[in-house]
Amino acid sequence: MRILVIEDDRKTSDYIAKGLNEAGHQCEVVADGRDGLFQATQGSYDILVVDRMLPHLDGLSIVKAARAARVRTPVLLLTAIGGVGDRVEGLEAGADDYLIKPFAFSELLARINALARRPPVQEQRTVLRVADLEMDLVRRLVTRAGQNIDLQPREFTLLEALMRAEGRVLTRTMLLESVWDYHFDPKTSVVETHISRLRAKIDRPFDVPLLHTVRSTGYSLHAPR
Amino acid sequence: MPRAKLLRSTPIRFALTYGLLFVFTSLAVWLVSFELLRRELREELDVAVRETYSVIEATYASDDIEDLVGTMDSFVRLNADGSRVFALLDRSGKILSGNLKHAPPREGFETVSALQLGLAGDEQFRILSGDVGGNRLVVGESFKEMEDLAQIVLVSFGWSSALAALLAFATGAYLARSAQDRLDVVAASMAAVSRGQLDVRIPLKGSGDDVDEIAGHINQALERLSTLVESMRQVSTDIAHDLKTPLNRLKLLVDEAATRSLNDEAMRSLLEEALAECDQINTTFDALLRIAQIEAGARKRHFLPVALDQLVYGIAETYADVADDNGQSLRTERIDAVEIQGDKDLLTQMLVNLIENAITHCPPGTAISVGLERSGECWSLFVADDGPGIPENERENIFRRLYRLDKSRTTPGNGLGLSLVRAIADLHGATVNVNDNLPGTRITLSFAP
Repeated sequence: MRILVIEDDRKTSDYIAKGLNEAGHQCEVVADGRDGLFQATQGSYDILVVDRMLPHLDGLSIVKAARAARVRTPVLLLTAIGGVGDRVEGLEAGADDYLIKPFAFSELLARINALARRPPVQEQRTVLRVADLEMDLVRRLVTRAGQNIDLQPREFTLLEALMRAEGRVLTRTMLLESVWDYHFDPKTSVVETHISRLRAKIDRPFDVPLLHTVRSTGYSLHAPR
Repeated sequence: MPRAKLLRSTPIRFALTYGLLFVFTSLAVWLVSFELLRRELREELDVAVRETYSVIEATYASDDIEDLVGTMDSFVRLNADGSRVFALLDRSGKILSGNLKHAPPREGFETVSALQLGLAGDEQFRILSGDVGGNRLVVGESFKEMEDLAQIVLVSFGWSSALAALLAFATGAYLARSAQDRLDVVAASMAAVSRGQLDVRIPLKGSGDDVDEIAGHINQALERLSTLVESMRQVSTDIAHDLKTPLNRLKLLVDEAATRSLNDEAMRSLLEEALAECDQINTTFDALLRIAQIEAGARKRHFLPVALDQLVYGIAETYADVADDNGQSLRTERIDAVEIQGDKDLLTQMLVNLIENAITHCPPGTAISVGLERSGECWSLFVADDGPGIPENERENIFRRLYRLDKSRTTPGNGLGLSLVRAIADLHGATVNVNDNLPGTRITLSFAP
């Protein structure tokens, strides 16, 4: 993927660029807000990674201006300020996701992957399917190999998120945000607890595991490769 | 007080303004009443002159002026002070009787000077002359008496006005002075505060007047300010202390990694440890910033209606499993429907912090309960456990930033969870209380409008 990184801190941008290149992406770095907006509107990129605080033009203004110029490229905003208000402002300006500094590179990569594969239009699917696991969104039923699986409401939402992201890694933070709507870091192992309960229901009674733990990153649901 | 400062003083300016206003008003009142009085007196003079004229005229019988002359003579005799003038002239203008030397030429009422009547002095006379059987009768009276009366009125009024004005100025100056003195005390106190003496308080008079009220408010603000400054001082010390420990550990880890020759595996484990320390420091900073941001109150603009009961149900459902995995139980008690204006994310974090506190600080086997009760506009939310409890003398401390009970030093956490809870509760106008749950701890958030 071609990724444009607009970030004025050299160390951070080097760190991001190096990591993205190693993950097989092409990465361009711009350190100035105005140049960044120019690049974002002129070049063709798959993802824009934009820092909020930039010289000459701040990240929010870049996103607003790019959206006004009908640039539909997914945007991931980076920020050192982690307030909820700021997050809402970022999303309202037209950003697709929001990541608070400091972050682990695996978190950034997972979010970039999630953005890149976000379907362009919200498709109206009523049944999700991963291998022999099926989820009926209308009747709220889950079956695996034809067997009914009884899930708690929260487990259902968690499984739905994982099934929609089939094959991609969802980090703990991404799950906390999308499944629980928690925008902070809980002290206890909320995600782990629910993942293990879900696993006990959808994987343990069957031969082939579908729910995989990706070490020090997150979780991924997919058929055996 | 120097004169320039005296004139800038608000109470003294008030006193001066009102004093002058008083003087001008009484001057105007006095002028108007004096003029009215003069007019009245003049009319009375005319009436008196006409009456005298009529009396003398009545003594005239047809073609007989003897009685007339006689009457006039007796009038002249009775008029020792010369304030009245009389004359009777025949057709040729010769004076037959009276005390005048000249007679005015015209008939009717007229004001003439003593000179015109051939008299000494500079008095003015009001005279009436008319025809009586072909002769001319002139009757007049001096203005002197009237002027004397007016003079008396003028002087007495002037004195009383001057006295009243003096009294007004003196009272004004006294009141202004005492008000100014009290303002000076306030100013001196504030000057001391600006020099950094935060313990200065403005003395109150105890009369409950407006200056006392303002001074009371200022004292309250000073009280809050000094508490804030003190807690800030405390917090910065705590932060410095609290961050020094992980920074030291980090330094040791990095030092070890840099100086010792290690194999990859050992190196990786050292770096992972260092990373964990960094994360811990970051988390602490984030939490501190968050608390500061919440305390600044800027987030109120994101307030929306939040169904508190739904929030409690959702979180309790999630954490029932977490507690279960920990060998504890979490159940909901009475949950009333409550909708408030608030920040949903913060309220979520607040409740999660309270529940996680109970989970992390209580041993397995503990029963945790959550409840939400409403009566009218008031509601209260509680998280209770039957765990080891918090000693009574520590119950207020647990809300202090970075404060940790000795026995909690080993459990994960940064001592900011409850500070955050209190900050969020404050933002929503709720108060937080810690009570004994007999046994255990019960933390209650109550809101009353």
